[in-house]
Amino acid sequence: MESLLSVENLTKQYKGVVALNNVSFEISDGITGILGENGAGKSTTIKIVLGLLEATSGTAKILGETASENINIRSRLGYMPEHDCLPTNVTAAEFLTHMAELSGLPPSHARSRAADTLRHVGLFEERYRSMGGYSTGMKQRVKLAQTLVHDPAIVLLDEPTAGLDPAGREEMLDLVRKTHREFGISILFSSHLMADVERTCDRIIVLRGGKLVQSGEVKSFTEETETVYIVVDTNKDGFIGALEKRGVDVTEGDGGIYVEGSDESVYDHVRDALVDAEAPLRRMGPRRRALTELFEREGDDFSDLPEGVR
Amino acid sequence: MTTPEKVVTASSSNGAGDDAEGTVFDIGYQHYDGPREGRNRARLSVYKEGLKISLGLGRGPRAKVLPWLFIGALTLIGAGMAFAAITIDRLAGDGTAEAVGLPSHSDFYGIASILMFIFAAISGPELLCPDRRDGVINLYLVRPLTGTDYIVARWGSFITIMLVVAWLPQIILMTGLTMGAEVPADYLKDNWLNIPKFLGAGAALAVYSGTIALLVAGFTTRRAYASVFMVGLFTVSTPFTFGLAQEIGGTAGKWLSMFNLSNIPMHVNDAIFDSVSGVTMDAPAGEFDTWVLVSWYFLWTLIPAGLLLFRYRRLSV
Repeated sequence: MESLLSVENLTKQYKGVVALNNVSFEISDGITGILGENGAGKSTTIKIVLGLLEATSGTAKILGETASENINIRSRLGYMPEHDCLPTNVTAAEFLTHMAELSGLPPSHARSRAADTLRHVGLFEERYRSMGGYSTGMKQRVKLAQTLVHDPAIVLLDEPTAGLDPAGREEMLDLVRKTHREFGISILFSSHLMADVERTCDRIIVLRGGKLVQSGEVKSFTEETETVYIVVDTNKDGFIGALEKRGVDVTEGDGGIYVEGSDESVYDHVRDALVDAEAPLRRMGPRRRALTELFEREGDDFSDLPEGVR
Repeated sequence: MTTPEKVVTASSSNGAGDDAEGTVFDIGYQHYDGPREGRNRARLSVYKEGLKISLGLGRGPRAKVLPWLFIGALTLIGAGMAFAAITIDRLAGDGTAEAVGLPSHSDFYGIASILMFIFAAISGPELLCPDRRDGVINLYLVRPLTGTDYIVARWGSFITIMLVVAWLPQIILMTGLTMGAEVPADYLKDNWLNIPKFLGAGAALAVYSGTIALLVAGFTTRRAYASVFMVGLFTVSTPFTFGLAQEIGGTAGKWLSMFNLSNIPMHVNDAIFDSVSGVTMDAPAGEFDTWVLVSWYFLWTLIPAGLLLFRYRRLSV
C-alpha cells in the first residue's frame, strides 16, 4: 500500500531536551492512532510533518513532499489542533468558507463546500449562528469540519476528544470513523486515550518519551486470548459451583464468568456444568484483549507487547 | 461513498398530496475536483478578511459601530470644511475663504490626525489580537500560507482601510469646493495639484499610523491593551516632548521635538503642501531641513514594519 506519510530517523531537540529521538514510521490509507502520554512527542511529530517545526535531524514526508519545503502541499492536508482555535464572533458558515479559501478554493466553491461540510458534521441548521454560543461538542465538530472543508487527502487530528463528555466523545469518534469509511479520507489520530484509539483506529503508533515503542495493526494488539467468556441467563452461582467441582478456575466479571481455555477439555467441563446447574447459556466465546489492559499489564515497560508490522 | 438518500424536508399544504412534497437528496460526501489556487488565493483571502474585520462586515452590530463612526466623523469634517468655504465664498465673493485662511486641504490632516490615530488604535488590534488569543492563527499557519504572507496581507488590508479613511474626506472636500466654485472647471484647473498632494500626505499618515498600530497589536493578545498603549503613546509624547523641547531649547530641544509621534507624519504633510499646519507650527523640529524630517518619517515607518515582519516570521503554533 502506498505510504501517505513517512517519518525517517526523526529527531527534535529543544535546548538540550530531546522531544523526539530517532523516530521512524510510515502511514498508509486508513485511520492510524498515535498514542502516548503528554510530552511523548505526538504534537511535535505532527508539527514537523506539517512543516511548522524544523526537525533537528531526519525527514518527515507527507504525500511524498516535505511540507516545510513545499507549503502548497498543505492545501491537501487537514489539521485539527488540540486547543481552542475558533473565532467567537463569526458564524460557522462564514468561518468555514474563509478556511476553504485559505486552502486555495475559489469563493463560490468555498461557500458550497462549507455548507456541505457543516451538513456532514451535523451543524447545518446551526451554520448561521455565531460560534461564540456553541457548546464544546459543537465547537469540536466545527474544528473537524475545517479540516475537511477543502477535501484533504489526509487529516491530522490532535486529541479530537479532548474536553468532551462521554456522549460528545462518542459522537466525535463516530465522525472520525465516518470521515475515513464514508468520505475516504485517511487520518492520523493523536490521543493519550487508549480506548479511543482502540475503538477508532486500524493501526497504532506508540510513542513514549520521544521514542517509538511500538507500531502495528490494532488487531494484533487486541488478539483473541485463551480465556473463554461465558454468560448464563439464570443460576450463575450454581453454574460456578459445578465448574469448581470439576476443578476449573473461574473468575467473575463483566456480568459473566471467565474460564481459562488452554486445555480443550475445559469445554467438556463447561457443557457438563451447564447441564448439572440447569443454567441456560446465553453467550460463550474467546475474549479479546483490550488495548488498555495490555498497557496496564505491561506497566511502564512496553517491550512485551506483540510485535507489530511496520 | 454513501448511497443517495431521500430526505423529506417539507410537505405541501395545498392538498396536492405526496407528489408535492419538497425533498432533498443527501448524495453523501462529494470529493472536490475543482480548481485549487494555492498560496495566492490564501493571501487574497486573508486580505479580504482583514477588510471585513476592519469594517465589521459579517460581524455583529457592535463590531460595526466604531469603524463607521470614525469614517462618518472624518467624512463630516471634510464635508463641513467644504460647506463652510462654499458658504463664505457665496456670501462674500469667490476667493474669500482662502483669503481669510479658512482651513483647506493642507490643514485637513492636522485637524483629523488625532481621529486617524484613535481609529488606528481601535481597529488595528482587531485584525491581529483575536487571531492569536482565540488560536485561529494555528489554522492559518497550517494552510498554504506563511507567517509573512499572513502579516503582509493583514497589513495590506489595514492600510487600504486607512487610506480610504484618509482620502475620502479630502475627496469630498475637493468635490465640494469644485462644485461650489462659480466655474468648477476653472477651480479644478487652478487647484488640481492639491489632489496628488493630499493623496501623498494621506498615504504618509495612513501608512505610519497603521503600521505602528499593527506593531503594538502584534505583541499582545488583548485588544484593549494595544489600543490603550497606542493612544497613550501618542497623547503622552505630544505634551511631554513639546514642553521639554521648549525648556531645553537649541539642537537638543529640536531633536527631542522629533519624538513627538503625532507630528512625525505631519512634518511630511507640511513638506508636501509646502506650508505649516496648526499642529507643527510651534514644534522646534520644524526647523530641521525637509530631508531630515522625511528620513525621520521613513525611519519611524520602516522600523516598525520590519519588527512586525520579524515578529510574524518567527511566530510558531
